[in-house]
Amino acid sequence: MNSLVQRFSTSSSTPLAALHKAAKVVTEEDDDFSDAAWGSEAGFGNIAKGVPSFAVPAVADPTAFLRLHTDDHADPSCRIKIQHGTTTLAFRFKGGVIVAVDSRATAGSYIASGTVKKVIEINPYLLGTMAGGAADCQYWETYLGMHCRLHELRNKERISVSAASKFLSNLVYSYKGMGLSMGTMICGWDKTGPSIFYVDSDGTRLKGDLFSVGSGSTFAYGVLDQGYHWDLTDEEAQELGRRSIYAAGHRDAFSGNTVNLYHVKEHGWEFIGNYDVNKLHYDGPGNVAGSPGHGYGYDIRVEGLSSANPPVAAAA
Amino acid sequence: MTQQPQQHAFNPYTENGGTILAIAGADFTVIAGDTRQSEGYSIQTRYAPKVFKLTDKAVLAVNGFAADGNMFVKKVKQRLEWYRHAHAKDMPIRSIARLIQTMLYARRFFPYYVYNILGGIEEDGTGAVYSFDPVGSYEREACRAAGAAQALVQPFLDNQIYFKNQTPAPGTVFPQHLPLSTVLEIVIDSFTGATERHIEVGDGLEMYVVLSKNSNALQGLRADAHSFQEVTSTADGERVFVIRRDLKKD
Amino acid sequence: MFLTRSEYDRGVNTFSPEGRLFQVEYAIEAIKLGSTTVGIKTPEGVVLGVEKRVQSPLLESSSIEKIMEIDRHLGCAMSGLTADARTMIDHARVTAQNHAFTYDENIKVESVTQAVCDLALRFGESVHDEEAMMSRPFGVALLIAGIDEKGPQLYHTDPSGTFIRYEAKAIGSGSEAAQGELQDKWHKQMTLKEAHILTLRVLKQVMEEKLDQHNVQLAQVTPGSGFEILDEARLKAIIEEM
Repeated sequence: MNSLVQRFSTSSSTPLAALHKAAKVVTEEDDDFSDAAWGSEAGFGNIAKGVPSFAVPAVADPTAFLRLHTDDHADPSCRIKIQHGTTTLAFRFKGGVIVAVDSRATAGSYIASGTVKKVIEINPYLLGTMAGGAADCQYWETYLGMHCRLHELRNKERISVSAASKFLSNLVYSYKGMGLSMGTMICGWDKTGPSIFYVDSDGTRLKGDLFSVGSGSTFAYGVLDQGYHWDLTDEEAQELGRRSIYAAGHRDAFSGNTVNLYHVKEHGWEFIGNYDVNKLHYDGPGNVAGSPGHGYGYDIRVEGLSSANPPVAAAA
Repeated sequence: MTQQPQQHAFNPYTENGGTILAIAGADFTVIAGDTRQSEGYSIQTRYAPKVFKLTDKAVLAVNGFAADGNMFVKKVKQRLEWYRHAHAKDMPIRSIARLIQTMLYARRFFPYYVYNILGGIEEDGTGAVYSFDPVGSYEREACRAAGAAQALVQPFLDNQIYFKNQTPAPGTVFPQHLPLSTVLEIVIDSFTGATERHIEVGDGLEMYVVLSKNSNALQGLRADAHSFQEVTSTADGERVFVIRRDLKKD
Repeated sequence: MFLTRSEYDRGVNTFSPEGRLFQVEYAIEAIKLGSTTVGIKTPEGVVLGVEKRVQSPLLESSSIEKIMEIDRHLGCAMSGLTADARTMIDHARVTAQNHAFTYDENIKVESVTQAVCDLALRFGESVHDEEAMMSRPFGVALLIAGIDEKGPQLYHTDPSGTFIRYEAKAIGSGSEAAQGELQDKWHKQMTLKEAHILTLRVLKQVMEEKLDQHNVQLAQVTPGSGFEILDEARLKAIIEEM
């Protein structure tokens, strides 16, 4: 039951030592399950012992091995293309937490998907966002969800956002230097009210009111910082989230396709909607709360004023 | 002669070409792959299957490094067998998808160089496609192409399945789901097209069709249009068929 | 008889010449010292009821925990050495969560029961030269109630690691009388409400104290609301209806 303590009190001084330790286990067992898996443990899952185990190649520097084959940033011709690229944001205001993300996944310059769910519904009152390695975020945040549920069963009380985010941060820190890539915001509402924690694979964990993560974050921050204040109404806040992701989708090539918008309130999160970035540009979000009633694109503001858009009458 | 410095890197991977795809219908799913296996510019074999039946309701297509792919399929089948013994039922496709995620992620630091597409029938009888990256991120979709010609095939599917960049004729709407006959034609066209324009695609085409219980998707098909071979293992459940076709061999 | 016992009744790893494992049998005896626990399966869900022995007026009866949640669709009631049950229930919870993590589905009632029974059999076992994790069998029996694709189910587990499915089952000190009563009164088409009342009636018969909302606990697993322990107000209402 104290696996958590053991897990995080590792005495190995370098991640490499930890890797070799893991590698040893792997070569002995040759897989992610023990002999017991043949018997009654069969089918109960490969992490019945509490902590999942990972196969590591038997080379001097496994991290360099992984980088050689998966780091498409440094080497676009590398074989294994892990999905990347994102804009995500979350901010706290008087009405709770707004979480907004794009839905594009890129592998190199190929758009691998335009329908990715970058908000991970950890449980009915906790959300996690996905930036960096898609699998890293999906896997560890689902894993976090499992532990939050165990916490709830054991303590008869929901886990705080602070504790949940610290669990995740400790978890990824124990893999530091091994090539995990995730930048996530854990958002929720607990006894202390709405809260957001930024957690990344370097081990950073920050509490804050407003974050944006991913390749398009600078563009999102531009809009977000300009429009943010604590007393936003729910409608204004949702519109700000939507508008900020649109801005990133418009200016960052690695972000785009659609916006997914969530609002965390006192009794858990609520999915507000999915909006096509291209539609937002020309037509706006449609008939929803906070909508400006027209497209976000600036064409509207230069119509008839610039040489590229001469007044209709003059053109004729 | 002076010795040039040499770098020794551990390189256990190769790329064996080929393409796979899957399309979900209302109550059926088609999962297909070509059968050519190549390394570099030479063709190793003209018949190496990339699509495998897991259960009567799930078919897995693997693409990338063939050795990893074959081993991965073997291990998934093993886990399905264990699950059957432990829980006395076939694993639902949604569970297979999650299992595949955990199996791929268990190799996060020594990945399987495999792109997986899982197709089949969900517990509610609807067609389902799940696509994965090599380390296990996954998502349920209506269609997906992967492999050498994914950049050729996926835009075609976007256009034909999702009706991207098309406007419906006035007064009409695009159908939510396509009939099996149309889907099969799209699959065949995808692969003939990919064969024309990609050197690593060709030789043969294997299409698996998974039908949900009581599906009448077969009714609209002309009997002589395709040669269906039934490979279902159990009675009165979902049914699985294979259709084999030739592709150009040059 | 006594003589043969004394030679073979200490080791958990040794059969007696008659083929018995006395420590396991004694563990089963320990359950008969425990408070009475009742479980009833109906088409609408499963009901669990326990007697809480409030030995002192200074004792906080709400701190006696004999019915616990394993997951939303699974509950568990115990009788015997309840401290042992905590280990088993934590194992059940971890197993259920692991299953949900690996397969994205609820674990089946039978599977979670099987997992608990596997643990029950691990006494005296040492793996890879390590010290044995458990030195003796668990001294507790469980009633595991749950709902899965096969509908509502009730399982009974004992220290030997045996598990059996029941329509209705009583364990603990008053179990013989209680089981008899269940056999008389249980019928296939019981409603959940009838099961609540039958559970309380059976408990009332075998309890020494007068039954009230402080010395019994009732829980249910239903398809709609999952596992829930009935609060004192609801319990009081049912008691008044009896």
